[in-house]
Amino acid sequence: MAARQSGDIRTLLGGGAEEDRIAIAHFLIGAAFLAIGGLIEVIAVFSLRFADIFPVSFGRLESMANLTLMMGFAVISLLGGIYYVLPRLTGTRLWSVSLARAALFLISGVVLGGLLTIGLGLGGGRQPFGLPWWIHLPLAFALAIPAIITIGTISRRQETRSFVTLWFVIGGVVWLPLLYLAYFAGDLPGLGSVAVAYSDLFFTAGFLTMFVFTVGTGLTYYSVVKEIDIPLASRQLAVVGFWSLGFAGVWWGVAQLVFGPGPTWVAGVAAALGLAFPIGALANASNLSLTLEGHWEKLSDKPGVTAGVLGAYMAVVVALMASFASFPTIGSVTALTAYWEAVEYAALLGVGTLLVAGVSFEALPRAAGRRLPTTDRARSFNRLTVIGVGGVLVSLTAAGLISGYSWLGGSNTAAYIDVGDGWAAGSGATEALTLIAVGFALVTFLGQLAYVSVVAGTVFSGRAVTQDLLVEVSAGDE
Amino acid sequence: MSDLLSAAAAALGTPETLVQRSAEARAVATGATVDEILSAWAGGEAVTTPSPEPVEASAGASDEAPPADAVTAEPSPESEPAVAVIEVPAVAASRPVEATAPSGQPPVLVGTSDNPMNVLVAAVALFVAILLLGLVGPSVPLDSPGARSSKIAHSDAGDAGQTIYASVGCAACHTQMVRPIVSDVGLGAVSLNDSNQILGTRRFGPDLSDIGSRKTGTEIEAIIGGFGGHSDLGLSSADMNSLVTYLVESSTSESG
Repeated sequence: MAARQSGDIRTLLGGGAEEDRIAIAHFLIGAAFLAIGGLIEVIAVFSLRFADIFPVSFGRLESMANLTLMMGFAVISLLGGIYYVLPRLTGTRLWSVSLARAALFLISGVVLGGLLTIGLGLGGGRQPFGLPWWIHLPLAFALAIPAIITIGTISRRQETRSFVTLWFVIGGVVWLPLLYLAYFAGDLPGLGSVAVAYSDLFFTAGFLTMFVFTVGTGLTYYSVVKEIDIPLASRQLAVVGFWSLGFAGVWWGVAQLVFGPGPTWVAGVAAALGLAFPIGALANASNLSLTLEGHWEKLSDKPGVTAGVLGAYMAVVVALMASFASFPTIGSVTALTAYWEAVEYAALLGVGTLLVAGVSFEALPRAAGRRLPTTDRARSFNRLTVIGVGGVLVSLTAAGLISGYSWLGGSNTAAYIDVGDGWAAGSGATEALTLIAVGFALVTFLGQLAYVSVVAGTVFSGRAVTQDLLVEVSAGDE
Repeated sequence: MSDLLSAAAAALGTPETLVQRSAEARAVATGATVDEILSAWAGGEAVTTPSPEPVEASAGASDEAPPADAVTAEPSPESEPAVAVIEVPAVAASRPVEATAPSGQPPVLVGTSDNPMNVLVAAVALFVAILLLGLVGPSVPLDSPGARSSKIAHSDAGDAGQTIYASVGCAACHTQMVRPIVSDVGLGAVSLNDSNQILGTRRFGPDLSDIGSRKTGTEIEAIIGGFGGHSDLGLSSADMNSLVTYLVESSTSESG
């Protein structure tokens, strides 16, 4: 019976190598979390505008959405991409598929348990997840496992030459647990409020830049080169892109506390070092553009490559906005406003989702031996995501700037305080802009559903197509 | 068709879904019908194909062009029995630089000889550097420049209320941080480094660092209960009392 079940599961996940099956499982579970998290995010944005009609506060909904989308979707999906490329780039088996499976179950379980905990009002309240300290521990452990697997795999590689994707993967999987430990440290007893606030922002910005952007971009390099069958334009630009993302990772988070109770030197350091963020994003986007020069027409039937490239371009927009607002003069207007909400939304649900789609649309057919159900639906995902995220980005950025300038104009000293309402009450325009953002968030959600449909449709009902069969070769084989 | 499928699956010892999928792929590749393929498999015969090409060439004929770094094969029973495909000891494959791509085009995954473990060491070193500069440095407690302090002495109920404040997610919308800039004029005393309030990073709702000086307990309770556009947090009366106590005690004007 057990053997029969095992066979069925293998069939469901497309046969093929164990490594590919675990990658497919990651993509599937990541897609499921995207659907759940996307729905919670829409409700959260609704509750921001219509706070009095939802039984759960925006604060809890936002934490639940963050947990589901960041840990459930982004981490799990990108780990799927990592497990897909690692054997292909190192010429050896994954160090431990069982451990990869255990980490998948552990992360999924912690996310589901965390959702319940936060929903019941038992969370710890720290952004971005609001998890109590006792959930941080198993999650930190689970996030360390992919790093162990990656290092173990690379340490016994057969391939002596490394493609650039390998650096991005190594950096991402090593930085992720370290970032989480730094975040976890914010729960240490006796730590001051300032340290906790810095820890929260350090993690959020670091997670998005040093894990999502870094790993996603690395996997996009792989997908573009493989799918279009052309060499990468510049290894040097990839070097610049990789190290700049790592170097710039946390500063746009730290910069959000500009003029706060932290040391004054931090704002200047964050502004200066944060300039590396757009440099890294630009290096990667231009590298992809140079690679595709003369081959753009091939993107018409490669929605995965299109998604990856769109993600890299959107990363430039996000990086420019984050770097721009990290300067104290700009930060005095944008800090604490919806401007940063817009940046984080675009970073996770725009850049993150597109980069994940870039690798999953390329990997699934090869790993599962099934064609994407329709390229139209994949293209719809690209379009809806760009339109939805772009709309939210513009409307929330405008709302943030208006509220920031209204504070400068003195709204805090008059109606704002006396009325006791939020920043939106400072101006009718911000209310309207928030409403527009709700509409675009719905468009983004439709795009997310399209992504889920493509992933599930490929695995469960895609038409047969050539499947990668990974065969073992020794180091001496040519 | 289902009889043929069952027979082929039984002959190959492979799940029907996989046999069906493999037969469809084989039919597309060879121009034969799915039934012909299944029939051949059910009888244990080899299917007539152009030639039993090496796996690389076979894959290269597909519209899913083979990657230069991975040896691929169609999971077809006659060239690689499906069971073998499932159970094939994974993995590996690549000689990206030296190998010539099956399509005859230049290899694409060009790499250089290096040790990726160097990247690992450098990545950890970079993280330690930004940790010290971006988190440890800013978090070191500073002495207050003068006699003033932002530390508020809460009662036990106030302390319990701060826990409620955190757990229901108040900090997602409200700051308890007043900055020395024009934007924050009128919000209360500027927050200092020794603040024990929950600073927060978004100000969708009003700043609450000095709410105790602006609102009475009754007014605060009404807002938390859903008045004035605020969501009803649905707190028990004990939790509500604690949270109201915490907010009433949040009065930085008095602490200066």
